[in-house]
Amino acid sequence: MVITEHTHGRVLLLTASGRLDGSTSAAFTARIEPLISGNEPRLVLDFAGVDFISSAGLRAVLSLFKQIKAARGAFALCAVQPPVLEVLDISGFTNLIPIHAERAAALAAVSLD
Amino acid sequence: MADAKLDAQFAAEVVADAAAIGNFTLRTTDFLKAAGVDARAVHHVVLVLEEVLTNLATHGGAPTEPARVRITVEPARVAGEIIDAGAQFDPRRAPRPDVKAGVNDRLVGGLGLVLVNRLTSELDYARQDGRNRLVFSVARSAAHVHGNG
Repeated sequence: MVITEHTHGRVLLLTASGRLDGSTSAAFTARIEPLISGNEPRLVLDFAGVDFISSAGLRAVLSLFKQIKAARGAFALCAVQPPVLEVLDISGFTNLIPIHAERAAALAAVSLD
Repeated sequence: MADAKLDAQFAAEVVADAAAIGNFTLRTTDFLKAAGVDARAVHHVVLVLEEVLTNLATHGGAPTEPARVRITVEPARVAGEIIDAGAQFDPRRAPRPDVKAGVNDRLVGGLGLVLVNRLTSELDYARQDGRNRLVFSVARSAAHVHGNG
């Protein structure tokens, strides 16, 4: 899993690529947690390059979301590949976490939130 | 039943630990892509393998013999079989978390088996000769056939 950082105003945009599974999710969490440790973190995770997610990956995403909510921040996912989106949907995450098809819409929503 | 001579098949023995499972699911992904399987079926077959093997690694009681996995690409579906010597476990009867709960009430466990049940179009289990035998299939192409949810 490769994660690249970009800053858009007060929003942190992270583009992730690769697989988010039992062998990569711990490193994913360890890489991102220090970046959202401040007050009111605003994070967009671009999943365009993520071609696999398992329940271990879902737990990692849920954990980030909970931390951001606890710090009164804002979070969105964008550009999720269809099979990954189906998994998020079955798991109930599409009702829990804002998910946008386009990166620009996610950035706009998290800036305003 | 498809003509066996036309079916691509992949078999492997997998030790139930995170690194070996990661390596195995990568190889399975490459095999399925090379066999021309659509992205959805590739994802969901690999997901079922990862969840079942991870469950074996975590709750299976550390069996000394590796799990035996066989994957067959048929024209309309991808069929899989997982045989392991872990503790008796039928994933069809596992407790399910509430996937409609709000973020604060979300439990972190159990989601993997929800996905296994929902993403397979067939899921059969038997305890035979002291081993778990799980047989599953995932439909190919865009035809979403959810049979066990």
